[in-house]
Amino acid sequence: MKDQKKFHQKFLQRLPTVYEAAEDSELLLEAAMEEIRKEDVVIEIGAGSGFVSEKLKGKCRFLLATDINPHAAKICKEKGLEVVVADLFRGIKGKFTLILFNPPYLELEEEEKIGDWLEKAIDGGKGGIEVSVEFLKQAKERLEKGGRIILISTSHNFERLKEEIKRLGYKFEVVKKRKLFFEELYALKIQI
Amino acid sequence: MRKKLLDILACPVCKGDLKLEVKEENEEEVLEGFLICDNCNEKYPIEEGIPNLLPPELRDKL
Repeated sequence: MKDQKKFHQKFLQRLPTVYEAAEDSELLLEAAMEEIRKEDVVIEIGAGSGFVSEKLKGKCRFLLATDINPHAAKICKEKGLEVVVADLFRGIKGKFTLILFNPPYLELEEEEKIGDWLEKAIDGGKGGIEVSVEFLKQAKERLEKGGRIILISTSHNFERLKEEIKRLGYKFEVVKKRKLFFEELYALKIQI
Repeated sequence: MRKKLLDILACPVCKGDLKLEVKEENEEEVLEGFLICDNCNEKYPIEEGIPNLLPPELRDKL
């Protein structure tokens, strides 16, 4: 009985608070698998349930998973990942040769916002690109020379994001695409 | 967290170096403790082996 209660508590604590891996997570995983090299020092920002990072473990020299959500970090930890709770790169001072991010990219209406953990995982801010742009700004300092960023984007705001990527002095290519019912997802490989 | 991780972490508020205060550890890692900023003295908790580097206002708000 006690175990059952514990299980229920765990269940309730987790499912509604952490973003479940979806098509965008799969796209990031596919792109990362093709990109990763044995000598890479890797960070995944917004690792969520650790869906991508757990499959990259052992394929590189070092891998750090981060998420702003402590509930997500716990799941990563249970999967044996090195994990820290952090808001993008704030609190991280190392340099990385491969940086991965499946960002929140939806633009929520004011009345859609309820301020819970899950919202952090989907709310991309103004135009749906605010978080991605802030990420790219901070990533400049954290990217080792010759390093690569894999960032997921959506057709909904790709044009605007493209402009920002260029404005920040990066170059990019689309390395993977996936068509969904109402949008197309892109995996972008971004370099300085 | 493994102690070696300290090399790549910094204070999220002032980017200062952090020092480790261990309350509980095993052979592999620190399980409970604090990361304390050398520069601004802000404290960041390590709980169940996970350092929480959110700035205090974000940590308390979320």
